[in-house]
Amino acid sequence: MSDPEKVFPTGLTLSEAEELHSQLVDGTRIFGVISALAHVLVAVTTPWLG
Amino acid sequence: MLDQYRKFALTRLSNLGPNLLPFADAATADLPLGRLLRLSMFQVTHGMALVLLVGTLNRVMIVELEVPASIVGIMISLPLVFAPFRALIGFKSDIHISALGWRRVPFIWRGSMYQFGGFAVMPFALLVLSGYMDAATLPAWVGICSAAIAFLLVGIGAHMVQTVGLALATDLAPPENQANVVGLMYVMLLIGMMVSALLFGALLADYSPGKLIRVIQGAAVLTLVINVIALWKQEPRDRSRARQAAPEDDFRQAWRSFISGGAVAPRLMVIGLGTMGFGMADVLLEPYGGQVLGLSVAATTRLTATFAVGGLIGFALASRVLSRAHADPMRLAVSGLIVGVPAFAAIIIAGLAHSTLFFLAGTLLVGFGTGLFAHGTLTATIQSASREQIGLALGAWGAVQATAAGLSVAVGGILRDLMISLPLGTGDGITAGYVTVFSLEIAMLLIALLATRRWLASPLPS
Repeated sequence: MSDPEKVFPTGLTLSEAEELHSQLVDGTRIFGVISALAHVLVAVTTPWLG
Repeated sequence: MLDQYRKFALTRLSNLGPNLLPFADAATADLPLGRLLRLSMFQVTHGMALVLLVGTLNRVMIVELEVPASIVGIMISLPLVFAPFRALIGFKSDIHISALGWRRVPFIWRGSMYQFGGFAVMPFALLVLSGYMDAATLPAWVGICSAAIAFLLVGIGAHMVQTVGLALATDLAPPENQANVVGLMYVMLLIGMMVSALLFGALLADYSPGKLIRVIQGAAVLTLVINVIALWKQEPRDRSRARQAAPEDDFRQAWRSFISGGAVAPRLMVIGLGTMGFGMADVLLEPYGGQVLGLSVAATTRLTATFAVGGLIGFALASRVLSRAHADPMRLAVSGLIVGVPAFAAIIIAGLAHSTLFFLAGTLLVGFGTGLFAHGTLTATIQSASREQIGLALGAWGAVQATAAGLSVAVGGILRDLMISLPLGTGDGITAGYVTVFSLEIAMLLIALLATRRWLASPLPS
């Protein structure tokens, strides 16, 4: 725990934590786009709103 | 008191941390079999994707969804468009700089995500494509575009996962174990294809749109779950790599130096020709058995099993032979080609003489030759790659192999449809048609053999 760069409690350094976070953000974006596309396709096939 | 609790909780948490993260311990010299088996599971999901795209969905789209065969053909060949990019993906993973010290994991994760996403939207895209319910009022391009997006996503994901997954396996396996690792990878691919073909066939036996959604989305979830299990704590973190300056990101230059090294270009040509020669049999053997030899549907299904058993024997033998020191994998691949020639000849004779025995023996031998050839060429690719260019080498192998396999399935399918539609009946006319195709395959194997003459003539590299 002497390394000042380490982020408690994961034991990752700042840049490592940032990289994991960026993967998380990218993943959320990709899954978001995919689910939006899936919803649109379902909506045009069997409209459930109005 | 409260402070003590706080301290206790935090120490417990920080001890828990590393166990919950997908990092491997420091690289170990030996790779335990259990871990290797777990890693090879990404091949199961690859096999599943292949079967779903080329087999199951092909049938469902044409028979149940009544999509025109031309559009189905285009959709199924779309993932092929990305096959050449495997070389680029492999190269990118070779030079990937990450603060975490990972090269392969980010690519496999991202590929799994694309593959998942493609399968997640695919059933809805297919229903729109077929004009199900309200989608019938939409212009045709909506369905075509969305289905194309789904197929492209699955394709690019599958290419990424397989290329970088094989590179990771090569990174982890000690050189004397590489042949066994290659064998294991092929066996897992075969298992994934067989199991999912049977499973999808049974699940979609009585089709309904709801069932289609459940099956494809189930495949999507399985892809993500299995790939994460396969990947968990596999790649060691290389902190020194994380601190290095970025290597030169020049694909063109890397490709030039790769292709000019050793016998890379002719080897890739042999891989392409051999894969095409063997690959066409895959789609043609069953209709041949049915139309020319008059086998029943159940009997032709057993054919597929015979073919797979031949392949398994080939993989097993190749793993054994190549585990020995100084075994040349390219020579083994050549013997696979040599086995293929009489195998196809036996299949031709079977049609002319109406002999089921010859047909079964030929099928078994084709499977065996395919196994030897596939194992030999992949092992040769891995063994000749330098440590820093493994991703690029496997990408190049995959690009050629996947393109050739896809093309042969497409060409084989077109020829099969031609045979069925031609007014040749079941007599000598159709036999002549198939004999021509199988002769073409023999010719391809012979050309590949000619191209390998150089290796056979030159002494073994020490």
